Amino acid sequence: MPNITVDNETLEFDGRPRLLQLCLETGVDLPHFCYHPAMSAPANCRQCLVEVGTPQINRETGKPNLDENGQPIIQFMPKLQTSCSMDASDGMVVRTHKSSELVKRAQKDNLEFLLINHPLDCPICDQAGHCPLQNQTYKHGPEGSRFEFRKVSKPKQIDLGPRVVLDGERCINCTRCIRFTDEISESHQLTIIERGVRNYPMTPPGVEFDEPYSMNVIDICPVGALTSKDSRFRARTWEMSKTASISTVNARGSNCYYWVKDNKIVEITPRTNMDVNEYWLADEDRLDYRIFNDNRPLGPTISGADVNWDAAYKAVADCLKGAKGDRVQFLGSAFATVEDNYLLSKLATAVGASTPMYLTHTEAGRGDTWLRTDDRTPNSQGCERLGFQPANRSALRSLIQSGGLDVLYVLEDDPVASGLCSAEDLAGVKVVLHYYNSTNQTLPAADVAIPAATAVETVGTLVNDQGHAQRLRPAKSIAGVNRTLSMEIGKCRADRHGTPFDKWYDESNLINCQPGWVSIPRIASDLNIEMNYKGPRNIMAELSSANDAFAGATYEAMGEFGVRLSEIGVTA
Amino acid sequence: MGDFIKHPFVDMPDRNPEQVIPNDQLVFTSEEKKQIQTWVSHYPTADGAVMRALWLAQEKFSFLPPEVIKLVAAEIGIPYANAYGVATFYTQYFKEKKGKHVLDVCTCFSCQLCGGYDMLHYIENKLGVHKGETTKDGLFTIQEAECLGACGSAPMLQITNGPFVHNLNKDKVDALLDALREGKVPAFTSVTLPQDEDEMGGNRRTDVSSVESYIVPPISETVS
Repeated sequence: MPNITVDNETLEFDGRPRLLQLCLETGVDLPHFCYHPAMSAPANCRQCLVEVGTPQINRETGKPNLDENGQPIIQFMPKLQTSCSMDASDGMVVRTHKSSELVKRAQKDNLEFLLINHPLDCPICDQAGHCPLQNQTYKHGPEGSRFEFRKVSKPKQIDLGPRVVLDGERCINCTRCIRFTDEISESHQLTIIERGVRNYPMTPPGVEFDEPYSMNVIDICPVGALTSKDSRFRARTWEMSKTASISTVNARGSNCYYWVKDNKIVEITPRTNMDVNEYWLADEDRLDYRIFNDNRPLGPTISGADVNWDAAYKAVADCLKGAKGDRVQFLGSAFATVEDNYLLSKLATAVGASTPMYLTHTEAGRGDTWLRTDDRTPNSQGCERLGFQPANRSALRSLIQSGGLDVLYVLEDDPVASGLCSAEDLAGVKVVLHYYNSTNQTLPAADVAIPAATAVETVGTLVNDQGHAQRLRPAKSIAGVNRTLSMEIGKCRADRHGTPFDKWYDESNLINCQPGWVSIPRIASDLNIEMNYKGPRNIMAELSSANDAFAGATYEAMGEFGVRLSEIGVTA
Repeated sequence: MGDFIKHPFVDMPDRNPEQVIPNDQLVFTSEEKKQIQTWVSHYPTADGAVMRALWLAQEKFSFLPPEVIKLVAAEIGIPYANAYGVATFYTQYFKEKKGKHVLDVCTCFSCQLCGGYDMLHYIENKLGVHKGETTKDGLFTIQEAECLGACGSAPMLQITNGPFVHNLNKDKVDALLDALREGKVPAFTSVTLPQDEDEMGGNRRTDVSSVESYIVPPISETVS
């Protein structure tokens, strides 16, 4: 296998990787700004300079010349090379800042140049704390500024488009954002204008930077030049905790981080998963987090009256106890996790009802060929794989209107808002509703309403439109103590921010709700139905062995990046 | 640029400018289209032809407002943003309406030492406008330019991205402005340096007849 030598260590590689990429993948931390693995390398930031040499070959023998120790003589290139634009080749010898004073000096001086016109006001910059320029200046940069003149002032606080704000003078002209619009999203809405010290990214006249993926430029910006109009200056990065989870806005389930401050979601940023969303996240995935923060329920209610959890569970059990199985309809949910839907189907079987159906939520035209889908739910594939059928809306509506139902059990959905039936139609039906937000329009018709934990408060599995099963992790805790949730938060959040045993524990904005894998077994126990699980981890373990459609989808296997399930009906 | 060091503020471009050139005039003739397509075919990718196409558009419309840049981009089949970036990069592309004759007076190092600023200020006083401005009659725009690569004949100026006027002095400026007012644009002038006097009859270029001999450059009155 071909190999290169970096700082006297040998690295093996396949194919022709770019030198910088190879170094980064093998743990050699080379500083860089303009390089991004998904895009072309213009080598314009000059920060990844290294010394590169190859063995000196004797032209007559074709063999390397050897020194007195029998080692090949290495011929270094006369000048430093940008490792991002150079392909690794067999026998290459590289000296980085760890072994070369020259490289060290080059990186330091280059940073000094980059910082000449960059404002040195990190304390008031939104990027501070997660800024590659700041980090690399601390690591490799000069100790102070020698620049005694006025810095060039460029336009600040410019709305490039409805979601992205530009601070021109922070820009170091790495052109990552330009290349993103040119090569990745292909909207071609950005360009670098002007020249020399005057240049900065801008849209051409009459064009707004408005595309469904525009906010990705904020993440790839290595300085604070591009910020999110929505979340800029709302929280410093060290005040937030981040949790690796997945987005639930559409059926793709793009991998993301939920940033939490005071138990509220503040921001959603992409998480790299080469099987699903690569490095990117659609704008809609980032902006729909308010459903996790606002209009959340206060607690369980029976016909609108506040009750405690035990009373609510008992009321649900009473509803189901008196009803005949064929006059009970369970509605699963494509918003809920596979685990919750699975428990619901077990409950349905136990009370003699038919397999739950689920409501589809599609909006034609919302999808594209990339990360957005027409399907506005995160788990319709999971419902399909559990054997749930999409509800035949007109049939179900006439069944409700004709009085053919005694009980309608709705898991984490909103039949009224989705147009299944009106609240008046449900007057004669006992409605059990697990719901996320108090704006749920079925709520006035609900006999028993149970606040459900949203995607950022629960543990579970969602299956995306491509059949990729991925884990939801709790980004914040809920009111009350749940040992399983606490343990999962402790595992998922590096800061252990959410456990009650931590000094950072924050009780503000906790929602009084329960995940389905807590409430459904409680209801089952009130009905004397056997449903004993230690937690969603065990539920999924059982399901993955019992149901071929979920074969292999254990929590251990899904890990951070999920597993691709086999096609429905095909056993692995 | 000199001023820029004292007042380093970069302005925002107008992001929603009014259209200057009406739609019915905003077209290329079939010959122009053919010419542009020929240039496109000279390069491996279409964006190679953007500079020549912008140049053609500037000659046709006299300057490049956004709608013209857009037209050029559409004609050669590249994104509008890319063409706009190129147009703003080069100062020789005029993004706003200029006078009939644009006088680019060089004030870079060599010209500065030999009186580039003297010449610039003399022209400003004579025409009654500052650099960057256009005279009321629309004849002249004065601009301060960075090095135009004719240090040997400093101080010098360039007329509308075209011929150079070398070895400037006040008499020469007077004569030049009078000639331009009459519509006489001086022809290309080649300057021979002492070491080249013996070669090709003192002119290294074969395509011009106009030759001006080397003179000892003057010394600036204001810069010392």
